[in-house]
Amino acid sequence: MDTKELAKAQSGVKYKKLGHCLGFIGSNLALIVFAIFALFPIIWMVTCSFKSDAEMYNTVFRFTPTMANYHAVLIGTDYFKAFLQNIVVAGGAVLLTVVAGVPAAYGLARYNFKNKEDMAFTILSFKFAPEILVILPVFLIFQKIGLYDTYFGLIWVYQLITMPLLIWVVRGYFEDVSVEIEQAAQLDGYRWYEIFFKILVPLVKPGLVSSALLAFIYAWNSFTFPLILSGFNVQTITITSLRYIASDSVHYGQVAVAATIAILPEIIACLFIQKHLVRGLSFGAVKG
Amino acid sequence: MARIELEGVTRQYDRVKAIDRLSLDIADNEFFVLFGPAGAGKTTTLKCIAGVEFPQEGLVKIDGKIVNLIEPQDRNVSMVFENYALYPHLSVYDNMAFPLRSKLYKKSEAEIKEAIDKISKLMRIDAYYERKPSQLSNGQRQRVAIGRCLVRNPNVFLMDEPLAHLDAKLKHTMRSELKEMQSAFNTTTIYVTHDYMEAMSLADRIAVLDKGHIRQLGTAREMYYTPGSEFVAKLFGEPEINIVPAEYRVENGKGIASVGSGISWEVPDDVRADIEKSGAKKIDVGVRGNDISFSFEGGEGWVGGTIYAFEPIGNKTIITAQLENAQYRIVAPNDVHASLDSAIYIKMNFDNVLYFNAETEQFITRHNREEILSLKKA
Amino acid sequence: MAVLKLEHIYKRYDNSEKKLFKKAKKNDFAVKDLSFECKDGEFIGILGPSGCGKSTTLRMIAGLEQITAGDMYIGDTRINDLLPKDRNIGLAFEDYALYPPLTVYDNLAFNMRAKNIPESEIKEAVERVAGLMKVDDLLEMKPLGLSGGQKQRVNIARALVRRPGLLLLDEPLSHLDGKMRQQLRYEIKRMHHEIKCTTIIVTHDQMEAMSLADRIAIMDFGCLQQIGTPLEVYDDPVNVFVAGFIGEPPMNLLRSAIKAVAGGYMFTFEGSELHVPVPERYNHVVKDGMAVTLGVRPVDVLIAGENEPSGTPIPVAIYEDLGDERRISVRVGENLLNLTTTDQVFYEAGDKITLRFNADKTHLFDIETGNRIRE
Repeated sequence: MDTKELAKAQSGVKYKKLGHCLGFIGSNLALIVFAIFALFPIIWMVTCSFKSDAEMYNTVFRFTPTMANYHAVLIGTDYFKAFLQNIVVAGGAVLLTVVAGVPAAYGLARYNFKNKEDMAFTILSFKFAPEILVILPVFLIFQKIGLYDTYFGLIWVYQLITMPLLIWVVRGYFEDVSVEIEQAAQLDGYRWYEIFFKILVPLVKPGLVSSALLAFIYAWNSFTFPLILSGFNVQTITITSLRYIASDSVHYGQVAVAATIAILPEIIACLFIQKHLVRGLSFGAVKG
Repeated sequence: MARIELEGVTRQYDRVKAIDRLSLDIADNEFFVLFGPAGAGKTTTLKCIAGVEFPQEGLVKIDGKIVNLIEPQDRNVSMVFENYALYPHLSVYDNMAFPLRSKLYKKSEAEIKEAIDKISKLMRIDAYYERKPSQLSNGQRQRVAIGRCLVRNPNVFLMDEPLAHLDAKLKHTMRSELKEMQSAFNTTTIYVTHDYMEAMSLADRIAVLDKGHIRQLGTAREMYYTPGSEFVAKLFGEPEINIVPAEYRVENGKGIASVGSGISWEVPDDVRADIEKSGAKKIDVGVRGNDISFSFEGGEGWVGGTIYAFEPIGNKTIITAQLENAQYRIVAPNDVHASLDSAIYIKMNFDNVLYFNAETEQFITRHNREEILSLKKA
Repeated sequence: MAVLKLEHIYKRYDNSEKKLFKKAKKNDFAVKDLSFECKDGEFIGILGPSGCGKSTTLRMIAGLEQITAGDMYIGDTRINDLLPKDRNIGLAFEDYALYPPLTVYDNLAFNMRAKNIPESEIKEAVERVAGLMKVDDLLEMKPLGLSGGQKQRVNIARALVRRPGLLLLDEPLSHLDGKMRQQLRYEIKRMHHEIKCTTIIVTHDQMEAMSLADRIAIMDFGCLQQIGTPLEVYDDPVNVFVAGFIGEPPMNLLRSAIKAVAGGYMFTFEGSELHVPVPERYNHVVKDGMAVTLGVRPVDVLIAGENEPSGTPIPVAIYEDLGDERRISVRVGENLLNLTTTDQVFYEAGDKITLRFNADKTHLFDIETGNRIRE
């Protein structure tokens, strides 16, 4: 290749490199500022959990760290019991959602039937309605049929917030899987359940995992339902955290501890979600 | 190894009939081509045989047994889908091994390896075993899809446009490979295409489909030399056959056909008899580009016009001549030079003219009909 | 009307994967040392497989891409730094970006109206191009009601409306199906014949390039391989790539070892009995044991008559009757050697035939570089 031409070709490059460098630093600075802004409530909450009640209203970051709040919350209360119960309720709710929601999503994606879109929209609309709107009749019904203050009662009512999300996300993934792929698997000698587990589940996995985790977070954070529909038998962490607010004094430090521990499962779950939010597994399977 | 029969099969989507009371009888070991334009119902027919679509009416039989209610898995058919339908989460090797790992067609891993190696060498995909479908080009995906179909030994191979997305060069070689493998298949094959060369090259018999109906059923030679209608005639051959309205009259005991622009000829006796028997009031004639000779000088018996289009396409040149009242596409050698709108003179080989009824557009006859169809080794 | 000249044009795209501390890996040149000239009124086809740099070249000519190095001229003006609108170029892309709410007439008039050109002048210009591209009876319709071919015609007419010096067409036919494609090919060719506007068409379809262009520039991996008239590139390819890319069915390209025999040389093939004499004109460039790539088009492989004993009989592997022609293939080692003929011959697989090559059309290529070995 002609060296003169090459030199010409590269002369523009140096100038570009400097600009490129500045742009890189600038964009990263902006991202760091935003990250601090977004994470500030969590940082504040964690610092609060180490403060004594006296230092609580102090707005500078100078305080004597103390473990007293942790001691008060974790030792000698039934915080862990509520934590475990919350896992059972939220986990159970997600499990039921997956078992019932995935077939529903498949049906809505694959088959044409009357009022299909209306039905899909009705499911979605459960998510629109404020919980407080339905809580009173649900409370009365639950008391009548004996579901008040039971695990299953909460799991059941949680479907209102977990199911619509999962159905709509997973339905989109099923729609992306060409029907010919299923037909090909049929002709390759596989039964419907084998096709479902060997072909479909791997293909919708990114959507399934991320929507199941989001559903878990919704269920975990739910406040209104357990507040009204549970009593002493089944307690969730959101309700337990209230206990540190008494009528005469508010132990903000202890509330902060309860909340800090309560967000741990969510943070762990989010780290898992990240990996699965990557879409694109189904690209290239069919033409185009 | 199976005979496939369709009896009055109708498949309807909403209010549109994709195939309409279609009947076919495909012999054991036959290579059968379904040929037609887009939307003719070719793919639907295949899917009805495969069992992944259910006909509303009619019977599908494999080896004389009605299979309408038999699940696709149990029909033992293997299919290439037009959009490949590869499993995106599996590698090329696993895609091809997939049918052989199912409970129904279970083989040992060693046998699977052997079968896949053999096929993928033919398909030239043995270098891509580890890749996922998304890492392949369309041509490679298509070959993997064909490979997955061929690794098994089913009752019938169903192939839906298996070469459609390959580039011209690869298409040519793959067609040859398929043609050569065909004798070794020892299996009934039903092949869907819209490329007339694939159809003519591969088929034992061709069914021309249009709008859910069979327009013509026969061998490749029948399609080309005695097409049943103008529609079929236009589908076979490149450049497309010239079909022009003609006038037919009897003069002094001779049948004379003329197409205007000063071209008229005496039709041979066998043709004359057939035309008169058919009772057609108006006729169209079809003449292929190879049956028209041309000259730039003219003279006795040549008819003059101007060059409307001139296209060198490699081994030949296609000239479109504008005559007084019609355009004719002519096949010329590749070393001809001419500029647009210059003069050209043409002459037709009247022996190879096809005669159609102008009202129904159905084929009437041609000269030497039987002779031309029975061409065999000298 | 314009002369377009490209001199040593290079193009490299910036690497999009930017890293702060690592040195960015440089992309290869998309176009390398490209030089050619379009004469005034010429129709040039740029042909190549996808990714060969042909569209990049077109976009550089149009001014949509920066030129990394080299000079480009229209007439005597260097256009490297001119904005697209100042280059007096008409452009029609593969997908027709017509404004759907406007009629065909308004679509054609759109650009001129933006420049406040008097309506009478616009009308004249629109009618001129509408006549050229045969869309004059569609002027009142909206794009939605048009077929693909009609849309593409309107699209080309729009590119022509300002009387560009240079018309650029980027794969204008690739969305259309068989018959429409052929029809539009005619129309484009006739339009060019009438207005003699310098035109460049980019395509991956060799048939399209051959039938439209006065000269074809064939590109591969960003490099110009050959430029010449359709017949030149077909009959006289400079290398294996051009030989294999042009022509349908493709040229037979077989690896062959030369063997000296009494009175000349023979082509021999690994794993095959086939022997074919080397044309005499190559006698002083070949030697015994030399490996070459032999290129011969299917139409130039001939079946020898019974009284010309010129080689070994070889069994027919495939016989295809395609109506217009018959194609016969024989196995030569692992490969197939194809021949086509318009004669009414009939064979069955396994029948023996004797082959000979049309000596004038037998090409030799260097086995390493792929370049043509000339006599």
